[in-house]
Amino acid sequence: MWGQLPYIAKLEKAGIPTVIIDLEDQHEMVKQEALAAGVPQVRYLPASRTLPGPEDVDNWIEDALEALVRPLTKKEKESGMYTPSQERVLFEGTLEEAEEFYQQTRHVPPPLDAPIAIYTDGYPIVVPTEERVREMLKGTSHKPDELITYQSDRSGRFGNVIKKGSVVRFQPRNWTATVEKVAINAVMAGCKPEHLPVVLAIAESGVGTGTTVFSNQWICVSGPIAKEIGMNSGLGMLGPGNPANSVIGRAYQLMAINLGGAIPGINRMSSIGSPINRGGLAFAECAEKLPPGWKGINEQFGFKKDESVAMVMTTEGGLNGAQFSPGGYRALQKSGHGGMARKLGVKGIPGPHNWLDWIIPDIWVGEREGPRTFIMVHEMAKHLYDIGFKSKEAVLEYIWKKSFEPLKKYRDRSWVDLTTNGWMGVERTSGKPWKELPDDYMVPVAGDEPTDNCIIVCGSDEEICFEITGGPRGMWGAAPVYSIDAWR
Amino acid sequence: MTGLHFILKNNDLRRVKMAEKGKVYKCLNPVGIQLPVKTSPLAPRLDTLDGKTIHFSITGEPDITIALDKRLKKDYPNVNWTQKKSYTPMPVYLTDEEMKTTDGVILAVCW
Repeated sequence: MWGQLPYIAKLEKAGIPTVIIDLEDQHEMVKQEALAAGVPQVRYLPASRTLPGPEDVDNWIEDALEALVRPLTKKEKESGMYTPSQERVLFEGTLEEAEEFYQQTRHVPPPLDAPIAIYTDGYPIVVPTEERVREMLKGTSHKPDELITYQSDRSGRFGNVIKKGSVVRFQPRNWTATVEKVAINAVMAGCKPEHLPVVLAIAESGVGTGTTVFSNQWICVSGPIAKEIGMNSGLGMLGPGNPANSVIGRAYQLMAINLGGAIPGINRMSSIGSPINRGGLAFAECAEKLPPGWKGINEQFGFKKDESVAMVMTTEGGLNGAQFSPGGYRALQKSGHGGMARKLGVKGIPGPHNWLDWIIPDIWVGEREGPRTFIMVHEMAKHLYDIGFKSKEAVLEYIWKKSFEPLKKYRDRSWVDLTTNGWMGVERTSGKPWKELPDDYMVPVAGDEPTDNCIIVCGSDEEICFEITGGPRGMWGAAPVYSIDAWR
Repeated sequence: MTGLHFILKNNDLRRVKMAEKGKVYKCLNPVGIQLPVKTSPLAPRLDTLDGKTIHFSITGEPDITIALDKRLKKDYPNVNWTQKKSYTPMPVYLTDEEMKTTDGVILAVCW
């Protein structure tokens, strides 16, 4: 809840009475966060998601003001220490009994109104017996009772600085975890010990989930560990079939559920959910097929080529794939034939041609403004290299410069009002307040700077490039790349 | 390994698993650790709103907060209203100095 409850708790502890107006389906989240902030009895009232504002306010304004003067109840005057019991052994029984135990559900009330698994993503899990967890822990040199901490200094959301050694708080419940807890979830996901350093690196991210929109979580592994553990960076790397990709992606979701306490309909309010999170999504970068001079994700973020990292992404929005008709892309590049060649004005001229011009600026039509992560196959990356893009940064610069649009049009988009705090801030390219800029001032749609966007080369020999909404410098400044080697 | 050997090997594994069928296992808890939380009471409530400084912390949802802002000022003219507005869910915090002169806070909308 973006710091609201810690703020309210600070005010109440300072002797300032408060009342919160929330939305009815957020009550459970308010209660959870109020407890975590140390003031479990905060007063709150629901606003409506559907009534017009004036009519809605009329229903509860008196109650809101009354909450500031109504004397405290005995319970509201209580103080103490909340110490929930946390048994290491959750269940004892046969494997069959345990399988059933871990599959138990609870009913989550409307707007969800259906059973939701308590410990799993809904699929059967590998039962985390003590023996299996012990075996899993052989995948790391870290001690089982070691708390998960940040392995390096890093930037957090909204410009916060996180120091190495700080304890990772798992979202949304702000819980902590040990190496053993991560190993338990890795067992449940079906991981092998050699996957554990990757899962621990993902754990370091705090495994955020998302709020009311189409929020996706995904992981890209870069560096030699991808080959070592058999991850798929080639054809179908986002799809089913590869054990390492599948179980590592799933481990994210199980950690979000168990270590973060994320519950759909309670504190994970993604309106329709996302199929990307069903089973989880992890894949590897195909570093050996990068064009000369193009850096892998590891090198882009200050690591060495022989170091392994996990880029852990939480993006709002969708996927937008460029579907090239069979042979259409090849016809463009080989001899300048077909629709793509006509659109680019290169009919009859042999390639290579800049296919980016075929998809830009439509990338931002009908979708969210903001940066994109481009996932492209190596052949298309090579064509860009052959045209003259000798680095990923050069491509990103090109895309970013092509993304400019008049401020008048930009204002009509959905989220900019939020990211500009109601246009009260300063526009980055001009250094001037948004409100002082003329309607025809050109602003970038693809983030504040080119490297807000990202390119990952992987996949098959067939032509495809698709864009995932969001980039690695999104999330209000959070740095999403974590060392895997630190967790070996 | 031939196909037959593969089947035999898997049958062997299956037999081992069958033999362990009745074994009781200790199964570990995957749930994260909630650190103990010191809980505090709510602040004492006000005896009256009249003459008090009440702060309205606006955090998004303008359809609700614009209407609320108008009603607060209209229906409670004896309150000294202050406000800070964010279009994001992140509230704009009161400073320590401002907290000294603030008697109560309404935060809307929490989402």
